[in-house]
Amino acid sequence: MAEFSWAPRSSLEKALVAGAHGTRGIEAGISLTEIRNFDLIQVMARRGQAAELAKVAKARFGVAAPNAPKAIQTSDATLIWSGPDQFFVLSKGGKHTMQTLATSLSGPASLSDQSHARVLISISDAKARAMLAKLSSIDLHPDAFAVGAAAATSMDHTSVTLWRGGDRDGLAVFNLLVFATFAESLWHMILDSAAEYGVDIGHSKEF
Amino acid sequence: MRIVCPFCGERELGEFTYLGDAKPVRPEAGASEDEVFDYVYLRDNVAGETSEYWYHGGGCRTWLKVTRNTLTHEISSVEPAAGAGAAKVGA
Repeated sequence: MAEFSWAPRSSLEKALVAGAHGTRGIEAGISLTEIRNFDLIQVMARRGQAAELAKVAKARFGVAAPNAPKAIQTSDATLIWSGPDQFFVLSKGGKHTMQTLATSLSGPASLSDQSHARVLISISDAKARAMLAKLSSIDLHPDAFAVGAAAATSMDHTSVTLWRGGDRDGLAVFNLLVFATFAESLWHMILDSAAEYGVDIGHSKEF
Repeated sequence: MRIVCPFCGERELGEFTYLGDAKPVRPEAGASEDEVFDYVYLRDNVAGETSEYWYHGGGCRTWLKVTRNTLTHEISSVEPAAGAGAAKVGA
């Protein structure tokens, strides 16, 4: 029998070309980093079990899971609101996988492994907001979209989960989860929108 | 037009899909043909306040019941449709 080795490959494997993109001769105003090798589990309360899930999740993660559009950082995971009574658990290194979460959460919740179903893009640097304003109708002003704010929204007719992570070098960092099969399309749209500001493209296994 | 999703806040129309009139109620099993015909096909063409189902598919994927005035497009209320969100449904 033939032996297969299934090596995970990013949906942006071909589209992502690391290095500079767009306007040259200026300091890049946008930094685009695809985060690879993450664990992403969607947790959805079973019918009538939302209160029980909230209790169990708090015991599991040490903090309350988001019940409004927010992203909550725990010591080793990010809990991101994805709709009423549901949230994502984003982590790396196998700390929060289907196996490890099922024991505590599968009573009051349905779990779904989205690790290879989404692409995670981190958008930062001085012109990040200006670029995102072309794609999103969400108000990303710091007063309206502070660190830890999240939104289930659409960009270029594509459903995305957007949230603001911790600032880097005093500048906002926006994280974007998009369906893997739509990622390449959105990626090109992001590159076109960002080109005028100068873009620094890369990928990383670290958040 | 914008709709204030009770879960997400104010969002542009492009994130929502219109289903239709929220008034018709599915008849009981054994209802007469006229009642079923009415439920499936007949709709009021209201000039004024109507209630409608909208789907926030480009956002939190929740069904909403929107009360809207067809003359002014003013939206007076948006609430989760029955069954939206596990917490809203009786245990």
